[in-house]
Amino acid sequence: MRMAEDLGLARDVGRKAQESQAWALQDGSRIAVIGAGPAGSMFSYFFLTMAETIGLDVGVDMYEPRRFCHRGPAGCNHCGGVVSETLIQRLATEGIMLPDSVVQRGIESYTLHMDVGDVEIATPLMEKRIAAIYRGNGPRQSVPLDTHSFDGYLLQLAEQKGARIISRLVTDVRREEDLMSVHCADQHCDQYELVVVASGVNSRLSEMLESQSHNFKRPARTKTFICEFHLGREVIRETFGPSMHVFLLDIPRLEFAALIPKGDYVTLCLLGDDIDDELMERFFSSPEVQNRFPGAIIPEHACHCYPRINIRAAVPAYGDRLVMIGDSGSTRLFKDGIGAAYKTAKAAAKTAVFHGVGAENFERHYAPLCQKINRDNQVGKFVFSVASLVQKARFARRGILHMTANEQKQTVSPRRMSDVLWDLFSGSESYTNVFLRTLHPAYIGSLLKNLVVGNLPGSAGRNAHSSSQENGHVQH
Amino acid sequence: MSSTRPGGENPAAPSFRIRAQQLEKLPPCQAQCPNSGDVRGWLGVIAQHKKNKLTLDEAYDKAWQILAELNPLPATIGRICPHPCEDLCSRRDKDGAISINAMERFLGDWAISRSLPLPRAGAAKYAESIGVIGSGPASLSFAYQMARRGYDVTMYEKHEFPGGMLRHAIPDYRLPREILDAEVERVLDMNISLVRNIDVGSSVDLEKLRDKHTLIFLGLGAQGARELGIPGEQGPGVISGIDYLQHRKRQPESQHGKQVLVVGGGNTAIDAARSARRDGASVTLLYRRSETEMPAAAHEVEDARTEGVEFRFLVSPTRIVRDGSEIRELHMQEMRLAEADEQGRRRPVSIPGRVQKIAADVVIVAVAQAPDWEGMGVLAGGQEWLHTRDDGKLDEDIWAGGDDRGPGIASKAIAQGRYAAEAAHAELRGQENPRERSARKAIHNGAVKMDFYSEQQRTVGCRRSQQERLSDPESEIDQTISYEQACQEASRCMSCGLCFDCQQCFMYCNKAGFTRIDETRPGNYFVLALEACEGCGKCIEVCPCAYLEARDR
Repeated sequence: MRMAEDLGLARDVGRKAQESQAWALQDGSRIAVIGAGPAGSMFSYFFLTMAETIGLDVGVDMYEPRRFCHRGPAGCNHCGGVVSETLIQRLATEGIMLPDSVVQRGIESYTLHMDVGDVEIATPLMEKRIAAIYRGNGPRQSVPLDTHSFDGYLLQLAEQKGARIISRLVTDVRREEDLMSVHCADQHCDQYELVVVASGVNSRLSEMLESQSHNFKRPARTKTFICEFHLGREVIRETFGPSMHVFLLDIPRLEFAALIPKGDYVTLCLLGDDIDDELMERFFSSPEVQNRFPGAIIPEHACHCYPRINIRAAVPAYGDRLVMIGDSGSTRLFKDGIGAAYKTAKAAAKTAVFHGVGAENFERHYAPLCQKINRDNQVGKFVFSVASLVQKARFARRGILHMTANEQKQTVSPRRMSDVLWDLFSGSESYTNVFLRTLHPAYIGSLLKNLVVGNLPGSAGRNAHSSSQENGHVQH
Repeated sequence: MSSTRPGGENPAAPSFRIRAQQLEKLPPCQAQCPNSGDVRGWLGVIAQHKKNKLTLDEAYDKAWQILAELNPLPATIGRICPHPCEDLCSRRDKDGAISINAMERFLGDWAISRSLPLPRAGAAKYAESIGVIGSGPASLSFAYQMARRGYDVTMYEKHEFPGGMLRHAIPDYRLPREILDAEVERVLDMNISLVRNIDVGSSVDLEKLRDKHTLIFLGLGAQGARELGIPGEQGPGVISGIDYLQHRKRQPESQHGKQVLVVGGGNTAIDAARSARRDGASVTLLYRRSETEMPAAAHEVEDARTEGVEFRFLVSPTRIVRDGSEIRELHMQEMRLAEADEQGRRRPVSIPGRVQKIAADVVIVAVAQAPDWEGMGVLAGGQEWLHTRDDGKLDEDIWAGGDDRGPGIASKAIAQGRYAAEAAHAELRGQENPRERSARKAIHNGAVKMDFYSEQQRTVGCRRSQQERLSDPESEIDQTISYEQACQEASRCMSCGLCFDCQQCFMYCNKAGFTRIDETRPGNYFVLALEACEGCGKCIEVCPCAYLEARDR
């Protein structure tokens, strides 16, 4: 086993005082990006763009053995495939214009399903809209889609910027003679001035890195569940409408469950603490879920996988000539992983181009972003634990339902609960921001009022069992 | 998959389990090879030699041993085989099939240069005595397979030198004599006695040999030539293809005319036409069907054309016209193609009144060959070919293989010799007939994920130019690929249906279901623990060579 110093991972760098020029990239330097998901591709894109502006000529090799043109998990990067309009607009300002064939707009609302009733939450502001994407080329048993892979599109941009795609599987990264060497399954080996790990948490690469170092802790993961149902465009339009269906059910360990319409398919996404058979059985048995499907029958599925998500950041996410971005480093808890990939990729690229590739450079210019994300995730954990309490307490669910439904009927007054739920579900805002809004006296006051009214005998939420969708109305 | 009705007998959650299994499949190269050669196996040893801690020299030695288990003549077959193994190679439509034939030839030459002995199968010694009649590829293969298993083998050859058609009919420019000598010698070194110049059926009675040996193998070949049956055929200047090639090999300096016509569309016809070109004649090959229907290997036809052989298709000879005894011209009927016959080949029919004439002084007739049953007709039961069991058994103590059972390429003869030996050995030892064991599942079309493999151009050996070929007629046309090229070419093999350690399943399994084996070898790198499997099926989808597949639910 190599020591931490061998890998160049250093938690306490101790050389912060002055940035050394020794770590600066030179013309002719070479860097390796491992993994061509959004983090890897955006890093390469930003890196090459920034390097170009200062006339730095550095070669970027992107290692990715998989093909995003494949259907099923082989060509996919395993997520629910929802991105916020905020991110799409932000990428547009970076020059990354996602074409319509990549971004499936058309999700105009969230429908919240609870045992006490349903409520549809319309888009609060246009820039807060959400869109659906396919990470690969669609479900396992699908006919070729008229859409294009989101990850494939970003990779193409990186390639156009000058990154070289290497179809090899990296199995090890080692420090050798002051450089980083990348080792592949086919025995290919190459050396680089910087290695950017963007292989996510669904590959064993971070486990390999951890086994080489006493100090490095790879990201902690939990098991989720994603699956695709083929229902056909017409049926989806009729039963799901242009809405993403979110379930707030009293099922232990289930933090988030959603059905997301995407063309001919509906994507089911279950997030929580180690999604297992028992939890899935309970989820599929609940009437709120069954009633979403035609004839209350869970249809056959076209694709499924059990992806892992990052629930605690890698520590540290950098070292000399080494940096972890996206899910391999720090990402947002449960939501907006692509947004975090964008932020970490850009910050790491900026550090590498303008400051250097030593641990001290990443410590000063990259670590603060990771820390900010990690702190926000702590708040997120608290927010989700409150949501779990709500899931367990029927009176609380009635109050929330009542408050949200009333807000949806109004057009002008602030929709405090709706906005909180929207931002929580969509990941459009930081968890800290969402949490701070729940401390607003008006929010608290309104919630207390609705907890009372919503639980009065004869109120809309009481004794509700079945759920169906109707804009802004609570259903019996 | 079926939909599930909640609340019924089935649980509400549909089954989200795709269980993988590691299952070796039969690759297309092996399925196409008449001798069922383990092409993927010996290419894999070379391609993956570093993973398995072998030097390249050791890998070549080992690859040759795998190859030689089934075929004792790789340098020979690597030169003359029309290599059907390459026809359905998964790489064919991507950047060209693997040059399997060139690889086989390289390994054959490698073994000759290093004097590698043929691999024995155990150290057993058996009392049974085996007689082999003929010394062509079928006989050599049978004799080798019996000798390496521990039998005492005696081979009877009509001519002075062994090798059958390989020696007497294949021109030197395709198969140099020293290569054949080296490989035949190595087979005989397995302690096989060779009795030369003995014509079983005339100079010695078959029954005597049956009494002497426990078991007899017949590898008589098909050296009798069929005639055209047209006026003017009998007389000087008309010679059969096989006689022409044999005569030319024995007396290379002899001349066979200036304007030569070759009749036929098989490999013998092509060899005869190319040989005649090398003797300076102008040569025209006449074939009654079109080029598409020609049984000769396409690349041989192309070579013949490059060397200046003219082709006349859809013509059938009707008369040979002579001036005294000398041939003057040949008359031929124009043909057209009618519907396909039962073998799927379109039948030629004559176009009435359309007759052409072509000048000639020699006509080589290479339309078909059949066994010569002189003194042994009783074995064939009055039929043209021997009708044996699939494994080659003809009678209680007689087995057969090669062209005496029907025409075929040398690999097929080697296969028949081997299958007969395996079956005969099993019978002598009271074991189960090996050919009756269940076959492996063939890999289905499209199962290999082509885009996983990066482009890599096919390696081809150097070839002599047309001028060189004609100015030095017996010099070999194709050159063996180099030491480095062979390794490069082996690395192109996609290992269809067998693990080659791409490690994708290992790296992407979220449950660490794949564990690396300590002592690895091609096809054997990981064990899969199903108790760990959560059934996402990702490993199956990322497996490029289709070794992993879903179990039946």
